[in-house]
Amino acid sequence: MRKKIALFILLGWVLLIIGDRVDELRVYQGAQMAMYTIALASIVLLTGYSGQVSLGNGAMMAVGGYGAALTLNNLGSPIWFAFLMAVVCAALFGALLGTAAARLSGPYLAGTTLALAVGLPAIANQFKFLGGEPGLLFDVGFPPERFGEEFTQYKWFFWISTFIALIALFMTSNILSSRFGRTWRGIRGHSLAAELCGVHSSRMKILAFTVSSALAGLAGAVLAMNISLVAPGAYALSLSFALVTGAVLAGISSLPGVVFGAFILVAIPEIADALAGRLGDADKLNHYLPGLIVSILLILSVIYAPNGPGENLRKHLRKKPAR
Amino acid sequence: MIRKTRRKRTWFAAAVIASGSLFATALPANAETGVSATQIKLGITLPLTGAASPGYNKIGNAMNAYFKYVNDNGGVYGRKVTLIQKDDMYTPQLAIAKTNELILKDKVFALVGPLGTANFTATHKSVNLAKRGVPSLFLNTGFSGFANKKNYPTSFMILPSYAMEAKVVAQFLKESHAGKKLGLVYQNDEFGIDALGAFTAAGVKFDVSVPYTSGSQSAATAQTWVSQLAAGGAQVVVFFGVTSATAPLLAVAAGAKYAPQWILGSVGADPLTLQALGVPVAVLNGAQTPAGNPSPNDTSDEYVKQFQEINTKYNTGVAFDDYVLQGMNLGLMTVQALRAAGQNLTRRGLIRAMETKGSTFASVAYSPLGYSKTSNVGHTGYFMAVMGPTGDRKPLGGSVTLYTTDSGSGPVVKSTFKRPAMPAKGLPTNS
Repeated sequence: MRKKIALFILLGWVLLIIGDRVDELRVYQGAQMAMYTIALASIVLLTGYSGQVSLGNGAMMAVGGYGAALTLNNLGSPIWFAFLMAVVCAALFGALLGTAAARLSGPYLAGTTLALAVGLPAIANQFKFLGGEPGLLFDVGFPPERFGEEFTQYKWFFWISTFIALIALFMTSNILSSRFGRTWRGIRGHSLAAELCGVHSSRMKILAFTVSSALAGLAGAVLAMNISLVAPGAYALSLSFALVTGAVLAGISSLPGVVFGAFILVAIPEIADALAGRLGDADKLNHYLPGLIVSILLILSVIYAPNGPGENLRKHLRKKPAR
Repeated sequence: MIRKTRRKRTWFAAAVIASGSLFATALPANAETGVSATQIKLGITLPLTGAASPGYNKIGNAMNAYFKYVNDNGGVYGRKVTLIQKDDMYTPQLAIAKTNELILKDKVFALVGPLGTANFTATHKSVNLAKRGVPSLFLNTGFSGFANKKNYPTSFMILPSYAMEAKVVAQFLKESHAGKKLGLVYQNDEFGIDALGAFTAAGVKFDVSVPYTSGSQSAATAQTWVSQLAAGGAQVVVFFGVTSATAPLLAVAAGAKYAPQWILGSVGADPLTLQALGVPVAVLNGAQTPAGNPSPNDTSDEYVKQFQEINTKYNTGVAFDDYVLQGMNLGLMTVQALRAAGQNLTRRGLIRAMETKGSTFASVAYSPLGYSKTSNVGHTGYFMAVMGPTGDRKPLGGSVTLYTTDSGSGPVVKSTFKRPAMPAKGLPTNS
């Protein structure tokens, strides 16, 4: 445990130093990467460990984002409390959904969560207090003055996002290696066998849904901070699909892999931009290329690396000494 | 020993050369972002695709066409102006992401003509344009909130505010449509609410009021708008929304044989865009509209004539409509602002030039510009026009009667302002 804490502190330190050396665009992308890391961790926990397929993580992120924004805007609370409320709102919502979802499995569960991803963000359009299509501003304020003039807002976002992501990863890794993690793996492996061993399968599934939703909600609040906004369009269906792709690329049951998945998700628009620039007519191509790349990557990884490229690499490395 | 000293000297010399060259490369010829000896890089976010794109997707290309024309004629003090367009699909989150790209990745010198009230509100906050000191010239929105110079110190409007427009329409309603049942359809965000506030302040009460959410406009939603208006018996209907919402509204109303006197807000009354959206232009016949610019068909206007020539050569195949006219005019004003900032172009210099010289710029619109050290307000007035069967816009009563006002409680007054002449060949020579 101490080793793990030391490792996370060291990782945080290295990230802070890197954040200080790179330009502002990379700092902003770093903050987005931290957000994706948390969101992917929520999918890995739910799908990779408890075996429940969810396509609606974007919706859970929206619940967290709106929860945080309403707290911050209406109560004038400190940032940490807004993030806490994001976790609480999403966890409550996840528990409710999990209760219904525990009865479903496979494609039925995927379909239900997909419907949620389509419908939930659009609900914001119907209620004025949620800001409609333009959404609500989410303003965490300027960085503290003692950091100096050179300390930009994006660096401030990067610090907060990274700090939250490290804590979230630390806690998730602890939960996954605890009895809960083992039970979830048991249920995923063989639900009936797990129940015969005394595991209350549906209760544990609801718990997994709740914890996963809490993480997704936290990611939603971090996203809201990074773009200073919560709006239905920020949590669109494409986000849910991108997250599933990221999780598959991460290796659906590999927690460390989420960092790689997050990196790919941040890199896709850059790759699309570079490709569009080469192919010409950048304006139009840039619009469709990210979606195309996400789809191609998803298909390729399902065919060639169903457990993620990381798993393939690990297998490859394991084979080598035998030769 | 000798070898050691030599090695030390060599290292010392290498270090001096290395640090010297580092220092030299760290000092570019012009330190300002987006400006080089040969180029000025500008950026714009606007809807190139999506529901709100019809019409607006022409503005960037029209600006680019004008910049190409200027570049072919010597540029701005020898520098060529380039414009990078990014598609925000009229959504705030994309506007934020794309503005971020423009500023952090493309490293543009300034934003010109960023479009949409909700988009710019979110972008300004998120990208922190004021603190970064990025000039945001000629915001393509009339939200009066942007006139707050303290909150938006680096931003400059161009359109008269929606509040000004509503005040002019309110006066017109009182003078020309007194005693009739009034209806209002408006976009339910800062755009429409700004106008609604001004109508209320002016004492205009609507018998039927129909808000719609931006992005929800469709034939199906227009059906509900028309039902409400017809049920309420509205004889005069004021519309404050985008053209992609005007189209279904007028089409559905025509289909239902509901024909009130339409008063279309200036934002959503472009005949060619309506036609492109499948609405026969004839439905516009007799519609009244507050207008700031001459009709794009009015070749007797020196601005329109010059811009049409540029459009034919540099924007080949694109029909010349209100949006193209607007884009060309944005280009013309941008070039004047860049010239006014001087040869040693800096962001601060550009903002100062806008404050001190901006009110004298030539622009196609008939009303005066309100730029000063304490104001970032653009044009300040409207005249009422009526549309013909081909979508032609003609001043109501035969000649332009310009009304100017402010976004607050100031009166609506008839103005005798004479707009500056179009620079010779459409090429500004100001400094």
